[in-house]
Amino acid sequence: MEGSEVRGRLDVIEEEEAADEDSSTPEASTHLKDDLRSCRDKLSQKIVEMENFASNLEEIFVTVEENFVRQEQQLEQHYADVLQSVCVRAEARVASVCEQKKCKLERLYGELLRCGNTLQTAKLLIQSAQTLHRRQHTHAFLQAVMPIINRMEQFSSEEEEELQLGVSLEFQVPSTDLSDVRQMMDSINALPAPSAPVMNPQISNSATHTSLHVCWSLFSDDTVEFYLLHWRLISDDCTLLTPQEVCEMKVKETHCRVCDLLPNAQYELWVTATNTSGISPASERAVYMTVPSPPVIRPRECVSSLDAALIRWDSGNTNPVESYTLELTEDCADGDGGATECIVAIPCCECVVQLQPRRSFIIHIRAVNTGGPSQRSEPIHICSTGTFFRLLEDTAHPSLSLSADGLSMFYLDEDLPLSHMTFSDNTFARCVAVLGDLVPIRGQYYWEVEVESSTEYRIGVAYEDTHRNSYLGGNNTSWCMRHTLTPSRHRYEFLHGGWSPDVCVTVPALRVGVLLDCAAGTLSFWNAALQQLLHTFTCSFLHRLQPCFALDTPGAMRLHTGLPTPAYTHTR
Amino acid sequence: MALTQVSSNKCSGGYQKVFEHDSSELKCKMKFAIYLPPKAESSKCPVLYWLSGLTCTEQNFITKAGSQQAASENGIIIVAPDTSPRGCNIEGEEESWDFGTGAGFYVNATQDPWKTNYRMYSYVTEELPRLINSNFPADPEKMSISGHSMGGHGALICALKNPGKYKSVSAFAPICNPVQCAWGQKAFSGYLGSDKSTWEAYDATVLAESYSGPELDILIDQGRDDQFLSASQLLPDNLIAACSKKKIPVVFRLQQGYDHSYYFIFSFINDHIKHHAKYLNA
Repeated sequence: MEGSEVRGRLDVIEEEEAADEDSSTPEASTHLKDDLRSCRDKLSQKIVEMENFASNLEEIFVTVEENFVRQEQQLEQHYADVLQSVCVRAEARVASVCEQKKCKLERLYGELLRCGNTLQTAKLLIQSAQTLHRRQHTHAFLQAVMPIINRMEQFSSEEEEELQLGVSLEFQVPSTDLSDVRQMMDSINALPAPSAPVMNPQISNSATHTSLHVCWSLFSDDTVEFYLLHWRLISDDCTLLTPQEVCEMKVKETHCRVCDLLPNAQYELWVTATNTSGISPASERAVYMTVPSPPVIRPRECVSSLDAALIRWDSGNTNPVESYTLELTEDCADGDGGATECIVAIPCCECVVQLQPRRSFIIHIRAVNTGGPSQRSEPIHICSTGTFFRLLEDTAHPSLSLSADGLSMFYLDEDLPLSHMTFSDNTFARCVAVLGDLVPIRGQYYWEVEVESSTEYRIGVAYEDTHRNSYLGGNNTSWCMRHTLTPSRHRYEFLHGGWSPDVCVTVPALRVGVLLDCAAGTLSFWNAALQQLLHTFTCSFLHRLQPCFALDTPGAMRLHTGLPTPAYTHTR
Repeated sequence: MALTQVSSNKCSGGYQKVFEHDSSELKCKMKFAIYLPPKAESSKCPVLYWLSGLTCTEQNFITKAGSQQAASENGIIIVAPDTSPRGCNIEGEEESWDFGTGAGFYVNATQDPWKTNYRMYSYVTEELPRLINSNFPADPEKMSISGHSMGGHGALICALKNPGKYKSVSAFAPICNPVQCAWGQKAFSGYLGSDKSTWEAYDATVLAESYSGPELDILIDQGRDDQFLSASQLLPDNLIAACSKKKIPVVFRLQQGYDHSYYFIFSFINDHIKHHAKYLNA
């Protein structure tokens, strides 16, 4: 059955399926439809396979036919050569025989002439004798008879000699040297040893991380029984003094797949051809490269917002790769993946990608070298519904501990002795604080922080290089809301550069919403439970901002990310 | 209830108009200002009522506060009534600036000779909204209220006395506890009589202590250099304490360097309109 015919029938089934939809119970019909769909998918796959097989067969057929035609032409040529050679020799023989014939004929002609002369002489003698015989005068007869008898005797004695044929009837045929023709005839069946094959350069996308598809060519006149492919790892590692082991493989075709190789590695390959007459010289050496192993996305270090995501990954390869490719597909609810966008030639293991807001995406990473791209990494799902970020543990004050999910922070009541604290350049040293990791674009971000009414805290944003030795809000590189408890009330300050406006809030916020709009240059704090705006900073933020959190007294805070920006925060 | 247009000026894409009408509540001719944003030409808009302070007419707010741009952008109608009945020929009406004409205090007077005309509370909460809703493209379900000083007091009591009637409330330097301050005592004793228990029905701090109803989000701005703050006429701390106790959400901003004037109002009117827009446009 033709592929198109099968497809046509499948379409009919599908139509029938659609028509049947109303008639049966929904569950049964769903079940049946699923079965039908899976059968249809299998069939479609089979058709594709069969079509592939048919096209392969066709290709083989064409190749065989071509080979036959070529061989036929070769044979014809060869026979023509032999024939010509034989003709040349035959003509030489004919020429020599003709030459002999001519000589013989000339000699025979001379003899003929001589015979005529002799005949003439004989006739004259006979005439003289007859004349003499008729002479009546006896004396005169007698006088004259003797010389004539002498002449006749002399003539006849001469005649006896001359009547022998002076030309041999045999022709002398020269023997012809036909050894080279024989050699030519023999050489039709005898094979020359093949010449050195030629390695083809690596075809892009033909390698995997453990295998290479190697191709080479032969000269069309050569007949080859098999090839011997040799390969060896090229190591950049100078410490390896011993050369890498050479592997080899016997191959019938002019291509093969070499397996069990190391990923992201260069291999040197060469090939020899062999037939019954011998082995060819080795081909030039070609360098092929296996593709890298797929990278490994670090999901906890990927952050996103409404309109961008920062994806980070590990190379997955011990030696450096050339670049990375990021593939972004919209994750549609109906299962149909949208178009895939690619960002290519990413030099390092992180990339910021622009997104449309309030969508869901699937992201894969590939590592790329000269051999081609690796397989896709495990996917990461990114939702551009809100601001997703994590706390940067390396910035946390030693007294501040973070939960395993990286969203809760605790300042325990037991003070560590200073000698037990380890500080790095990046660690907050005075303020028990930690920074968050926002996508580095000038976008809009919203997050919420759950606090206890008794917790004394600072929540806000800071430049990434904010001074680690000062209090948040106490300098010009951070903006924050500070909550403290006085004997009479909850005190809220909105600190920047150590100064706060005088604001009084009657209901303490247990869930603080922070809305950062870099483009508008605003940072607002909300009592999220009441939808109450507490304060707005207006400032043109010049550098990359990061969320900051600090606990001024022992307590805890929990961060909530990924929330959509509440509608009540949208005013002009 | 015929309306007479007194003036109309195009402003920020919309119209700033003034109308006059005969008030049934106040038994006199009253003027009010109304800003109609461009959006009002095609659809119904929410209304923000603005109550002005002592001595003001409907003119002060519309000429000095600079509210029209934000109202235009947020599609909000702003109605600014006068601060008292006028021309009622009541004895003593014009004697002082903090009582009588221009000082209605947004109460319904119970005492002679004021009780007939000085019914500003009913005027701003009942008559005026009816008038606006029937004559302008106003969404009757979406009202908010704000004011300055005496008007701030008016806005707070209107909201606290009518839970759910106003979507939001804000005030500039309001008289927060009139029962406790000289202005309030003078006005309340004149309009309401000597029984102080009747005063409490018009005192924001007292009303806050007994408020129950939908959550109110109150925004209050106060100039730190306001001479009436230091003269203990405004007493915001009392209101804050009451609201803290009753868990009524208030953001009270003490603005450094600002006084009691319209310069102060002009500086923060946008924040207040945004505050109301959040609820009116929700």
